[in-house]
Amino acid sequence: MNTMPVKNFAMSQSVLRRSDLYGLLEALCDEIELTDAQFEAAKANYEAVGRWLAGAQHNALRLLNIYVHGSTALGTTVKPIGRDEHDVDLICHVPDFSPLRLPSELKRVIGERLRENSVYGAILEEKKRCWRLNYAREFHLDISPTIPNPACMNGGELVPDKKLREWKATNPKGYRAEFERRAGLLPKIRLFKTIVADAQATIAPFPARKKKRGILRRTVQLLKRHRDIYFAAVEADIVPISIIITTLAMQAYEYCVEAFEFDTELDVVIATIRMMPHFIGQDVVAGKRLWVVNNETTNGENFADRWNSEPARAQAFFTWHKQALEDFERFANLEGIDRLTTEIGKALGSKEVSTVFGGRTREISEARSGMKLYVAPTIGLTVTTPARATQVLRNTNFGD
Amino acid sequence: MRRGGRAELSPAQQFLFLRNNLICAGAGTLNHKGLVWNYRSRPTLLSREYGIRIVFERDDVPKIFVKDPDLKQLAGGRDLPHVYRRPTRLCLYLPGSGEWLRHMRIDQTFVPWTATWLYYFEEWLASDEWKGGGEHPAGEEDVAAHRRNVVRDQQ
Repeated sequence: MNTMPVKNFAMSQSVLRRSDLYGLLEALCDEIELTDAQFEAAKANYEAVGRWLAGAQHNALRLLNIYVHGSTALGTTVKPIGRDEHDVDLICHVPDFSPLRLPSELKRVIGERLRENSVYGAILEEKKRCWRLNYAREFHLDISPTIPNPACMNGGELVPDKKLREWKATNPKGYRAEFERRAGLLPKIRLFKTIVADAQATIAPFPARKKKRGILRRTVQLLKRHRDIYFAAVEADIVPISIIITTLAMQAYEYCVEAFEFDTELDVVIATIRMMPHFIGQDVVAGKRLWVVNNETTNGENFADRWNSEPARAQAFFTWHKQALEDFERFANLEGIDRLTTEIGKALGSKEVSTVFGGRTREISEARSGMKLYVAPTIGLTVTTPARATQVLRNTNFGD
Repeated sequence: MRRGGRAELSPAQQFLFLRNNLICAGAGTLNHKGLVWNYRSRPTLLSREYGIRIVFERDDVPKIFVKDPDLKQLAGGRDLPHVYRRPTRLCLYLPGSGEWLRHMRIDQTFVPWTATWLYYFEEWLASDEWKGGGEHPAGEEDVAAHRRNVVRDQQ
């Protein structure tokens, strides 16, 4: 009889499968994010826009600096549902514009300059607080004007409020730096230690991809895509905004990385999601409870401001968050390629999920026809050649 | 009997090989007629775990049955691809092609082929498309040829 340490076998198999599932979710993120080519194209375009704006007659625009912020700057882009264009958010920082002047004036000056160019004029669209350049089937460039915030010691800026009457504190560069610091924190993953200890195990039946964004960015991408699908059929304007998801995720991630050890990367994702609501603050002002999700890098920017005037937004966040946590916990325990394809597809996009699983099938089929497919204990079919693997010889499935 | 210069393997030898390969860790019985081997197979980490029974009788070809879960139930009314029917067992090689010969080891042929079949099976459940390749007996003539091949393999 075989003498297998059954208990350890089962445990390591469940750990390995969660690790493998994380690999698939990463591949899914690769499918839904802005590609490098798209990013380069967007960059070339926004740099040209920056040069065009700086060439304006208007004195204030001469020293402007255009830079990318939001998900494109953070590396957390997610392709929108139902259209091809990614949003690329740009800040058009104008250091010479006084905070005593009206935001609407700065927005107007920038719009006028863009219209002077026939190329930009043809694809220009006015939004509430920004200007949009529509590059069909590729991306939108959303250009928000900002000016320096003399009251912020942390390099913050001021951005027009929704009515373009007042300036509001913001700090895109400080926020990005804070996000990147946290994204660079590495969690303690037990699996890696185990693998070093057990030379016979091979953790990756399918070789890992090169592009590694880190677990925090992947968590944010997965949550944003889950949100987009969860709210796809909801008409009310109550969808949790990306900056709230990103802020809570980065705080929760830092906490989890410092407090816990994990079996796999997927467990980090799940723990981070679980912990997010704990970072929503509550103030009591004049007997009224207020929700607070502060921008930690400047004073006076509460990302959850609108939860206080529209309680349905807070409710929507909590309902969605509960579902997201349940879904990712469930994925971790689902068995069967078919069930994973269906269930993850429902929650995160069936087209991209099919592409990802299809890619794995192709990998297996190519290895099989090239006589490079193996079966190994614990992990099953593999395109790597771990110890004690058995080669899959050529065969033809016959019969009906 | 020798074929192609290599000795065919007896059920007892096959049994030893099955017992010693960790990819089909399990238990079975061996008697004068042949062997039965039961093991559990998870074709990939993300797949289900299946209960497999191998039946190999002297002078016959190995037969592979999936004991659990119920494949027909998983297929939800669709006809299973690439199986022999009554009772249902997996079609894992083309008779007469030389893919299976009697000097070969079951743990190095039918066991990995079963894992591959199960992988494509779950893929088929999701996509409704069999991506594992293969051939179908097309008509009466093919079926007759199939039978001849089976008989030839068994000789």
